[in-house]
Amino acid sequence: MSNKYVEMGMRSPVNLTWEVTQACNLRCTHCLSSSGEPSKNELSTAEALDLVEQLHSAGVFQINFGGGEPFIRPDFEEILAACHARGIMTCISTNGTLITPELVARLASNRLVAIQVSLDGAVRGTCDAVRGKGVFDAAIKAVKLLAVTKIPTSINTVLTTHNASEVPAMHDLATSLGVSLRVSRFRPSGRGADNWEALRPTPTQLLEFSDWLGKSGDVRTGDSFFSLTAQERQGLGLNLCGAAKLTCCVSPSGHMYPCAFLQSDHFEAGDLRTSSFQEIWDNAGIYASFRNLRIHSCEDCTRYDQCHGGCPAVAWHLKNDINGGDPECLERCVTTIADNQRSATA
Amino acid sequence: MAAAGIKLHSSCRARQEGFGLLFYDNRGPRLLFAATGTLLPADYFGTVRGRDEFPAGTSDSEKKALKKFVTQLLEKGFLHEQ
Repeated sequence: MSNKYVEMGMRSPVNLTWEVTQACNLRCTHCLSSSGEPSKNELSTAEALDLVEQLHSAGVFQINFGGGEPFIRPDFEEILAACHARGIMTCISTNGTLITPELVARLASNRLVAIQVSLDGAVRGTCDAVRGKGVFDAAIKAVKLLAVTKIPTSINTVLTTHNASEVPAMHDLATSLGVSLRVSRFRPSGRGADNWEALRPTPTQLLEFSDWLGKSGDVRTGDSFFSLTAQERQGLGLNLCGAAKLTCCVSPSGHMYPCAFLQSDHFEAGDLRTSSFQEIWDNAGIYASFRNLRIHSCEDCTRYDQCHGGCPAVAWHLKNDINGGDPECLERCVTTIADNQRSATA
Repeated sequence: MAAAGIKLHSSCRARQEGFGLLFYDNRGPRLLFAATGTLLPADYFGTVRGRDEFPAGTSDSEKKALKKFVTQLLEKGFLHEQ
C-alpha cells in the first residue's frame, strides 16, 4: 500500500505545519506550544514570503498554519496570498476570536482556504475551562460566520478527560452548524505537559473514543499527516507516523522539526536562516532517524499493522524514548484496564 | 457532445517522486500514489490530452497500463473530461 512508497522517501513533504507566530490572545491549558507572547526572533514578512517560494519550489501541496493564533500576525493574509498565488492549499487553525465578517469575506474569495476553529467542549463550561472565559461563544460565532461560506470549515477538538463524554454532542453541534468535526489527540507537549495528568483521557475513554470514531464515518482525526476519517486512512493504506516522511514543522523563528509536538533542540532539523528548506529536508540527521525509525518492541503486537508503534512524540514526552512505542496506544489501554481490574480483585 | 480530452482537475496537483507520480486533491484532501516511474512527467495532465495520448516512445504494453491508470484517475476525480 502507500506506506511502501512513503518509506522509499519523498522529495518533499506533502504538507507541513507552519507555526507563524507564538503570539496568542488565549492561554489554553493544553496548548502544545505554550503560546502567549510572540517569540523574540520570528520570521519577518520577507523571510516568510521567501519560505513560501521555497515550499512551492519543493512541491509542497498544503500548509497547515497554526501558532499561536495566526490571525494575530499582521502580515498573515499577505503570506496566505503568496501561497494561493502558487496554488498551495492553506489550512488555518484558529481559536476563532479574531474572525470578523470582513475577514471571512476576504478568505472566502479564495478556494484554497480551509479553516479549523478550536472548540474543546459541547457546552460553554467545558470549553471555557480549558480555553478561557467567553471563548466558546466567540468560537461558535466564528463557526457560524464561516459555515455560510464555501470555506471548508471544521471544529477542532482536543480529546481530554473532561470533554471525552461530550464528543458525540460535539459531533451533533458541528452537524447542526453545517461544519465537520475533527478530533485530535491530547499530547504532553507545551502547556499540555504541565497539565497532562489533569487533562489526559483515561484508557477507557480512549478505547470508547476509538470505538465511536470507527462508527462515525465523517469525523476526521489529524494525526501526523492529514485529517482523515478512519475509512479514508484505511483506504489510503497510510497508518504510520508521517513526521519527516510526509510532513514536518516550521517554528515561528524558522527552525524546522519533525512535527509540531517535537519542537525542542534535541529534534531540531535545521534553521531556515542558515540553510534552505530543501537542504534541511534532504540532509537533516534527525529526519533520517525518523525515516529509519522502526519500533521493534511493537512488532509482535496484533495492532502493529494498524499503527506501526504509534506516536513517537507521545513516546518521547512520556518515556524519553522514541524507539519504545506509544505508551498511550490502544493495546496498552486494553492491558492497563485489565491490569487495573486484576489489581482491584486481588 | 463528445469530450475533447482529459485534464488534471483544478483542485488537484501532481509531482514527481521516485516511485512515479504523487497526486494531491485539496477537496479531501486526498492523495494517490501512482507507480508510474518516469513514464509520465508531473505536468503531463496540466494540458488537455486525448484519452489515448501518451508521450512519444511509450511502448504498447506501457500504453495499455497507462490507459487503465487514466481510467482510474478519471473515476477518482483527479482527472476530468473537458
